[in-house]
Amino acid sequence: MSEWVHVAELKELTRRKKKQVIVDGRPVALFLIDGEVFALDDVCVHKERFLTKGTILDGQVICPGHQWKFDPRSGRPEDQPGCQATWPVQVSDSGAVLVGTVPATPRESSGLEDTPDVAAAGSERP
Amino acid sequence: MTAEQTVVVVGAGHVAAALVKAARRRGFAGPLVILGDEPTGPYQRPMLSKERLAGAGESGLWLLDPQWCAANDVTLRTGSPVERVDAATSSVLLADGGSIPADLVVLATGGRPRQLPGVEGDRIHTIRTLADSDRLRERLAPGRRIGVLGAGFLGTEVAAAAVGRGAEVVVFDVAPVILARGVGADIGTAVQALHAGKGVQFRLGQGIESVRATADGVTVTTAAGAETVDDLVVCIGIEPNTEVAVRSGLVVGNGVEVDAECRTSVPTVFAAGDVAAHDHPRYGRLRVEHVDVAQQQAAAIGKTIAGRPTTFADPHWFWTDQYDINIQGLGLGGIRPDDRMVARGDLSALDGTVFWLRGGLLVAAATVERGEDVSVARELIDLEIPVRAEQLADEGVELDELLDSEEVNA
Repeated sequence: MSEWVHVAELKELTRRKKKQVIVDGRPVALFLIDGEVFALDDVCVHKERFLTKGTILDGQVICPGHQWKFDPRSGRPEDQPGCQATWPVQVSDSGAVLVGTVPATPRESSGLEDTPDVAAAGSERP
Repeated sequence: MTAEQTVVVVGAGHVAAALVKAARRRGFAGPLVILGDEPTGPYQRPMLSKERLAGAGESGLWLLDPQWCAANDVTLRTGSPVERVDAATSSVLLADGGSIPADLVVLATGGRPRQLPGVEGDRIHTIRTLADSDRLRERLAPGRRIGVLGAGFLGTEVAAAAVGRGAEVVVFDVAPVILARGVGADIGTAVQALHAGKGVQFRLGQGIESVRATADGVTVTTAAGAETVDDLVVCIGIEPNTEVAVRSGLVVGNGVEVDAECRTSVPTVFAAGDVAAHDHPRYGRLRVEHVDVAQQQAAAIGKTIAGRPTTFADPHWFWTDQYDINIQGLGLGGIRPDDRMVARGDLSALDGTVFWLRGGLLVAAATVERGEDVSVARELIDLEIPVRAEQLADEGVELDELLDSEEVNA
């Protein structure tokens, strides 16, 4: 059962458009894009860099590690394998940003992670 | 644009994979056919000198999912070398004498490694194909001494993989600093120290006088003396595979000459990737051997054939990963000798970025471990936002804020 955690204030996102928060011990990236707040796993499915250290370009999240482009709504990288988990987000009238404790869509391995135990989930290895 | 045209990609690499995905995403409806001469479909070539060389896993290796291809009318024909394109009859002629219809063709024949003339044998390696990488990996083992000729991106990645597998490594290059041609001497020096700390030995600044391969080893002789290694990996660049283009009557110089939309001298034939000498709107004609460039060119062609003519005009971008360090470059091919170089952060500590400025505008950037700076650099270049060297050098200035200042000025 998903619960809601108050992780940030909307005004913390208005300038930099991004912020890392921790939900249930897991780093989650908040992005403010065209007035909407999105929450994705912050750890990139490719090489485990933080998406919040990247930038937002044309409505997409650009990972700093290898410039993979993610759709913030689906968590999918353009023309690349894997998928960031996406998390449910609510913004209250008072500007509180709440994130659900259970992902809305699951993380899918890219098969390219450097950390074997991360990579092992959902990908074949000899 | 007719929706039912057939597109044939000659060459089953990154261009092919990126092109079919882009074409389908943009709504192109005609059949897509990929012809490759290797026994497999497209794979992640950058992995051949990194993950795949370090270990034999297939995780993340394949670029096209057979189920996706089947669902999207993408036909992959492996082991199918091409003789030439016959634009007059809208067909591609295969080496085995067969022929397939092709209203539009994308030439993506790639390149092949430069060899040392007269130096061959079981102990001499190059890396271009999966088979090359797999053969070399078996030799990278404790107790073996591996020579690497060429300290560019490929050679240094091989060195990192080799020491990671417990082999002894010695790297030869005529240049005094590794990677300097690619990312500048400052980053090159820092990464060289990283390699040296991992045990890589360097023989730099000396031309190679001879290389002799025997049954017992490979002897490399420079002015400083002779060294014998068990295996030698030759990483001295590639030559574009232009034979199909030449036989097809296309204009070929240093690669297949294409315009900004990646069209060759024959309007129904495109070329992209390592083989294409692209007329880049920003830099003029260049043949660039980076995977992202191949994919961007392919994506532009995909949009064009789907009915939206698109040029590839972004600054060239590349990355290399060595050990756990990430290095990136953007627009480096466009640097001129009188551009002003500005460093940010601590390059010697493998944590910083170099920027190149011309007339108050950013033209290029290279980074160690600060990919976020390259993301911002991309926007500064793209939007032509004026920046000052002091701002770039000052760690107190958030680079993001330089983008904001443009909005204020606008």
